[in-house]
Amino acid sequence: MMPDSSTIRTAAREAASEIVGRPVKEGWRLVTSGLIDSLSVLKLIGLLERRLGITIPPETLQPEDFDDVDLIVETVERVAKPHA
Amino acid sequence: MTFNSVPYLCFVALAAALFWVLPARFRRTFILVASLGFYATWGLLFVWLPLLVAAIVYLVGRRITAEPGRQKQWARLGISSVLLLLVVFKYRVFLFSVIAGLGIGKGSHSLSLAASIALPMGISFYTFEAIGYLIDLRQGRVKLPGYLDLCLFFLFWPNILSGPIVRARELMPQLTFRKPFEPRFCFEGLDRIIWGLMQKNVIANMLGIWVDRGFDAGSNAIPSTLDGWFLAVAFGLQIYFDFAAYTNLAIGAARLIGVTLPENFRQPYHAATPPDFWNRWHMTLSRWIRDYLFFPLNARWAGSPLLLYLSLVGVMALVGLWHGAGWGFIVWGTLHGAYLVVYRVYESWKAARPSLNNSRLAAACWRALTLVAVTVAWVPFRAPTLHKAGLILSSMFYRCAGGRAYGGGFYVFTAAIILLCVIEAGVIRRLGELEDRAGAGGPSPFRIVVRPIAYAFGLLLFLLFDEHNAQFIYSQF
Repeated sequence: MMPDSSTIRTAAREAASEIVGRPVKEGWRLVTSGLIDSLSVLKLIGLLERRLGITIPPETLQPEDFDDVDLIVETVERVAKPHA
Repeated sequence: MTFNSVPYLCFVALAAALFWVLPARFRRTFILVASLGFYATWGLLFVWLPLLVAAIVYLVGRRITAEPGRQKQWARLGISSVLLLLVVFKYRVFLFSVIAGLGIGKGSHSLSLAASIALPMGISFYTFEAIGYLIDLRQGRVKLPGYLDLCLFFLFWPNILSGPIVRARELMPQLTFRKPFEPRFCFEGLDRIIWGLMQKNVIANMLGIWVDRGFDAGSNAIPSTLDGWFLAVAFGLQIYFDFAAYTNLAIGAARLIGVTLPENFRQPYHAATPPDFWNRWHMTLSRWIRDYLFFPLNARWAGSPLLLYLSLVGVMALVGLWHGAGWGFIVWGTLHGAYLVVYRVYESWKAARPSLNNSRLAAACWRALTLVAVTVAWVPFRAPTLHKAGLILSSMFYRCAGGRAYGGGFYVFTAAIILLCVIEAGVIRRLGELEDRAGAGGPSPFRIVVRPIAYAFGLLLFLLFDEHNAQFIYSQF
């Protein structure tokens, strides 16, 4: 079963904070500001998959789909599938 | 018609004036015709090429939207087709020379036949935009517009020759030209155009005179250590100001008709690390490489450091090859790939040593190393042959010789431009603050008096330095 929006938001904020190395606030631009690079986005995807028990197929995504917490939630809700 | 010529400036002024005078419903057609006309000034022979690229994207795009089950195959066909055009028109001479070097084929005859066809202007840029468009379409990020809309997207005159490389989703919505006229479009556009003209004619072209002499293919003399370093630094400054000038002129021309193009530079020589350099240098190319090549590749190979490092070097070598069909460009790209790998290895090593995270010494070392590494890589990029590059690099590192081959003007001018790079961001910020304080919203003494004086002074300098006019470096790519 897919997690709900608030669970995804909490996981997104925690994962992004872990990657950046300090607490990430809502609205912070992560990729376009240079705070994280494309490889960090892949790490972020890995963290979200483990914490939420989902699969995110990255081949149809672009790093800017993870540019802020809102976009991460939207992207996960759009493309993620629960682990089989 | 080069961007830094009086006929081009007259074209831009006339096109912008007519654009705003025309009823809104005619503006798209007008800009399409003006863009076609501008592209035709570079030679009527290749006007069909961007139209063909638009046709390929349009026809393939229709199949992508019509057959969801075969999107991947259609996207591959479209991408291969536009890449084939790029290879035929840009890399055939290089490929023939490699084949001839291997002793396969008819050698010099094939080579001279291949070399007889000129390089169509801007092909590297609109090919990348076409590939990006097809991938975005497949990923459902954009919708397929009409054929003429695609033609306008690829031909849009401000950025067709040398970028910025735009995404369909950031430019196409603006090409409806629904914005009403605002005086700030004029100020913002003219600011960029005048500064671009000065960057090109006063700085880049002047440095180019000395750089051309130093990198002269006919000379096998090894420069002194001082000259070797000054030449490498001077070319790094020349190419930055040359390309930044082009970008400012492109952004400025688009701004005059109310269109915003993405930025390409953010003080690249202030970069703190090699990856940071690529966040600041040719940002729209870096973004394209990241979104359509590097990210999908590494998404597939996630977790394998060896594949990551190989992909970094391979992708950067391709970036070098994109600049031009020559070994010097490939060496330049490969060097940058190696710098990124070294930094990535350092980051992995640092992860186990948290004390280094806030080390000012380590940060200062990386800043200095990045600057030196970037400067060194410019040598093969600019040198006409790898042998010449080797001579200059040897003078910089181990064949230490004294003396200098240039007058004092070269060293003083280069040092002055280094200083300009140091203070450039601060000056621009300060000017913005001054304008805000003077009242950015409406007419102010700053706008009515200071700006026209600055524009007149800039134009005067542009005309005074016009005798050393040279083509933009990136227009050859």
